[in-house]
Amino acid sequence: MLDLLVSTLIQGLIYALVSFGVYITYSILDFPDLSVDGSFPLGAAVTAVLLTRGCNPYLTLLAAILVGALAGLCTGVIHVKLHVRDLLSGIITMTALFSINLQIAGSNLTVGRSVDTIFTAGPTMALFGGLSLTNRKLVVALIIAVAVKLLLDAFFATKAGLLLRAVGDNAFLVTSLAKDKGNVKLAGLVISNALVALGGALVCHETRSFSATMGTGQVVFGLATVIIGVALFRRFSFVKGTTAVVVGSILYKLCIAVALDLGLPPNMMKLITAVLFLLVLVASGRKGEEIIHA
Amino acid sequence: MLEVQEVSKTYNPGTVTEQCLFDKFSLSVEDGQFISIVGSNGSGKTSLLNIICGSIPVQSGDVLVGGESISRKKDFQRYITMGRVYQNPALGTCPNLTMLENLSLADNKGKSFGFSRGVNKKRINYYRGELEGLGLGLEDKLNVKMGSLSGGQRQAVALLMATMTPLNFLILDEHTAALDPKTAEVIMQLTNKIIREKRLTAMMVTHNLRYAVEYGDRLLMMDRGQVVLDRVGAEKQSTSIDDLLTLFNKISIECGN
Amino acid sequence: MKKVLTFALAAAMTLSLAACGAPSAGKPYKIGLLQYGQHASLDNCREGFLQGLEDAGLVEGTDYTVDYQNAGFDNAMDTQIAGKFSSEDVDMMVGVATPSAVACYTAAEEKNIPVIYVAVSDPAAAGLDSGNITGTSDALPVDAQLQLIRAMQPDAKTIGILYTTSEPNSVSTIAEYQEKAGSYGFTIDAVGVTTPAEVPQGADTLISHKVDCFSNLTDNNVVGVLPSILEKTSEAGIPVYGSEIEQVKIGCAASAGIDYVQLGKQTGAMAAKVIRGEATCDQIPFETIDSYSTYINSDVLDAMGISVPSDIAANAVEASAAA
Repeated sequence: MLDLLVSTLIQGLIYALVSFGVYITYSILDFPDLSVDGSFPLGAAVTAVLLTRGCNPYLTLLAAILVGALAGLCTGVIHVKLHVRDLLSGIITMTALFSINLQIAGSNLTVGRSVDTIFTAGPTMALFGGLSLTNRKLVVALIIAVAVKLLLDAFFATKAGLLLRAVGDNAFLVTSLAKDKGNVKLAGLVISNALVALGGALVCHETRSFSATMGTGQVVFGLATVIIGVALFRRFSFVKGTTAVVVGSILYKLCIAVALDLGLPPNMMKLITAVLFLLVLVASGRKGEEIIHA
Repeated sequence: MLEVQEVSKTYNPGTVTEQCLFDKFSLSVEDGQFISIVGSNGSGKTSLLNIICGSIPVQSGDVLVGGESISRKKDFQRYITMGRVYQNPALGTCPNLTMLENLSLADNKGKSFGFSRGVNKKRINYYRGELEGLGLGLEDKLNVKMGSLSGGQRQAVALLMATMTPLNFLILDEHTAALDPKTAEVIMQLTNKIIREKRLTAMMVTHNLRYAVEYGDRLLMMDRGQVVLDRVGAEKQSTSIDDLLTLFNKISIECGN
Repeated sequence: MKKVLTFALAAAMTLSLAACGAPSAGKPYKIGLLQYGQHASLDNCREGFLQGLEDAGLVEGTDYTVDYQNAGFDNAMDTQIAGKFSSEDVDMMVGVATPSAVACYTAAEEKNIPVIYVAVSDPAAAGLDSGNITGTSDALPVDAQLQLIRAMQPDAKTIGILYTTSEPNSVSTIAEYQEKAGSYGFTIDAVGVTTPAEVPQGADTLISHKVDCFSNLTDNNVVGVLPSILEKTSEAGIPVYGSEIEQVKIGCAASAGIDYVQLGKQTGAMAAKVIRGEATCDQIPFETIDSYSTYINSDVLDAMGISVPSDIAANAVEASAAA
């Protein structure tokens, strides 16, 4: 029982990185960014290749952040500089990334057990070597998720962060402040996709594998977690959006765990999960689209 | 000084809906002048503001500020020394940010938006003082989200934000039109107070003929892309609402309205 | 009220999690079976596997229990289900298809739970060839298929193959085809697609290249829309060779293919040894299916005017719709 909670928590915390990314584009920038489905496996692809080539596991995270940022930059430039519609810009990047990911890591790539990941490498062992692998994964995932959350909170409180929040809220105001709203959006997309790619990298470390199709459905996952999280804490204004989406991510994975655990026919899984989401949303008294555009 | 020189603007050029609005339109505004502009819908009032702000492109002509052309500058670059308050109170502030965050953003206009703290705690007392000056009791609502304030309150804050940093030029685009009469009156008085106190150059488009007569030191009436009435100083002071209404009706009849 | 509901729901989730306590020793051997998705071949693997356990004399319920889960072709789901197996302390995980096998192996690492896999094309490439893990490979008998095509169509020059660029098994099998085709006097015209929706276009491309026949891999996207390919090829009079019996049943001309039920049975026998404690996974090397069968669909072959050489006909299994 405790084990299952722990493994669900690990999943929720790791995938929370994707939720952070989608939170920035969808909730803050009001930009439906579909490049996520491509930048997530991109992070994993780069990580898998670097790990198998003996790169320092911690550095792979940095590499993933960089390539993710680049992917976000692509979507941003396509939208802001080439004036392509937001939805379409994301689709273009996502489509291109599918081929790029195949070029980087092939259709799939497994990282052997002899290769150290961030969960087994020296510094991690030095700090948490006394813990079991599962608990170590939990601690590392928790540290990363909390660190990113705190960094984001701190960023949102800076002048640059305020401007980013302003551009999604009211782009006219940003222009009135003599700032190019396009560049602000671009920055938001860069940050978002960097986080999503970091999520992909963590998944690659955790599962020791990359698959070209692993990005499918990540946008939907991200949206669901943002909506669940924001809906749950709507009445508690002191709860930050970043906290809400972490909880949303964990809850999403918990919904799946519960659905799995109810022992229902495997093919009914998605239906059960959908019903659980609906219950969460109805119970918190508000439907998804209202939250997003609130 | 702001100069609009021989600006031509045609909407939908080369199509069946082609419509020429301005043909070599010129206007100059003295520093410190507060101009009220009236005119029927489609007379070119708002288009003029948009041309000055760079929100819409023109076919020819030039816009100069202090003798320097700003035609090549993008809209956001022009706003460095320009402020604008829109008709829709929602456009002047960010609804999901608190009033304090909104004011902090406005306070930082023209500077870089880097990684220093977004809200400067040392400025809070200054903001509070400015809000007190509005006389709307907003000074106690610094941590309230803008979206939960009324339209009039938001417009007052938008006005404050637009004029917080030094400006060459303030643009008021029917900024009282979406408010109820009482609130509109309050905002209009505040506007006048701020313009006079800060000695701003301002252009106000309004549908309210009384405001146009009562406020400002120059009055323009526009019709089909042309200035049909331009009164300054004493001549403006002697203009009555009835004078305006007579002219306005005459124009409207010519237009077939 | 709403708030109460929210909390009640959260509580219900926690409770339902709590209800799944792990059973301890003395109970039947607990197998967590994770299948990548629902698909005729993978279903055959699973059924064959369970059959293999029964054949070895084990009885479901008393000797072992199976928790069957299906990831719906979703890698994240694979990870989560494997994690659930691990947390429930299953005695063995069974992964059907490569992604599920990898997910099980990762989740089993800490508790060193034995993992058995079915239908992994290239266990070595997937890193599943060492450790407390074993199973069977479903690498296609490419040589046999090429031989079969040569026997059926002595004049054929080009074989067209559709494959999904993101399916690892397909990519490696294409490479094998290209390597071996020459020695049978064939050239391979391979067209890569990324989604099932692109498959019909891919088929049109190959038909316009005037290939002499199509040969299928076990590519999920391609096999999933096989009927639409067959419609086009039969109109163009081009035979399609399948990669397993199910494909021949729905209209492929013939196949030198794997019987996935058989593959599953073979794997079940391996698992039975582990369950009985006769061997551990790391003592059993992974196996490749040694026998393959030739399946033919006489209706299709007749329609194409292809005559089956008598030596092949003698050993082939008839798999036409009528059979």
